Amino acid sequence: MQVNGQPHPHRPGLTLHALLRELDVRPERVAVAVNDDFYPGARVPDRPLEPRDTIEIVRIIGGG
Amino acid sequence: MTVHHDLLTIAGTSFQSRLMLGTGKFPDLHVMRDVLEASGTEIVTVAIRRVELGAPGHVGLLDALDLDRYQLLPNTAGCRTAEEAVRVARLARAATGVSWIKLEVIPDARWLLPDPVGTLSAARTLVDDGFTVLPYMQPDAVLARALEEAGCATVMPLASPIGSGRGLRTGELLRTVLDGAGVPVVVDAGLGVPSDAAQAMEAGADAVLVNTAIAEARDPVAMARAFALGVQAGRLAFLAGRMTEREHASPSSPAAGVPRLPDPEMPDLTGPVHTPV
Repeated sequence: MQVNGQPHPHRPGLTLHALLRELDVRPERVAVAVNDDFYPGARVPDRPLEPRDTIEIVRIIGGG
Repeated sequence: MTVHHDLLTIAGTSFQSRLMLGTGKFPDLHVMRDVLEASGTEIVTVAIRRVELGAPGHVGLLDALDLDRYQLLPNTAGCRTAEEAVRVARLARAATGVSWIKLEVIPDARWLLPDPVGTLSAARTLVDDGFTVLPYMQPDAVLARALEEAGCATVMPLASPIGSGRGLRTGELLRTVLDGAGVPVVVDAGLGVPSDAAQAMEAGADAVLVNTAIAEARDPVAMARAFALGVQAGRLAFLAGRMTEREHASPSSPAAGVPRLPDPEMPDLTGPVHTPV
């Protein structure tokens, strides 16, 4: 499993909510992509994660 | 016509200000907020980045922005290919709830020049996906028309390389983009001082986007105000219509009737004839 470009250990039964808790990321004001599915932080589903999933967790920062 | 009633309309949304601002490079969020206030801007760009998983709890920029007051314009800065840009645009929409995107496809790190082919390709995909697309581009009239036909809401030609502060170095090429443009033309990147912004607006640009010139000014808030005035001056001048340039001087005062002293080198043909001594 890849999380923000880094390998991340997968364990059976892992869900997206559990992953965010594990990473200590509050879902508000972020966005999450699991492969090609894009979720606003406030509406992240508690979907099961697979070992081959690619997950991106992003936020807004200053930029031009 | 007053500037007040001369609205900028992008994709059906109207704005009084023709100055868009980036939010990068500011020393802190308080300065940034004061800058946005002083500039009068209504359209604010932001970037999308991965959350640093080692340092959670970061105060997000979104908390500092009044989203009722500003049209948020997330960008795809840092994306090197069309595919990356489309992905970041979708993440931006998920993160902000906003479907406006400043499209940047920039494979070149030294000059930060956009890839025209990748930009057009990503623009088509994003328009199909319901985005309001504002593409950053080289000032190329053929590409500008293609982006318009693809359904982009504006085109955003560069004045000079991003963050360089070198001013409007692409003026002649900008003219070709402005000529016959069917969407607003926003000059983006490279403006260094308010006179650069005024120059772009005088040439007929519909708006400008500024970040580094304000963020790196000694007094960013004062510079934001100065840019606002520069944009207004340039826009008013464009609407007023400039004079035609001349090859030679043309006196503003009447040439006839100037009181003159007698010229000792020239015979005075108008007065009485002098007899030689």
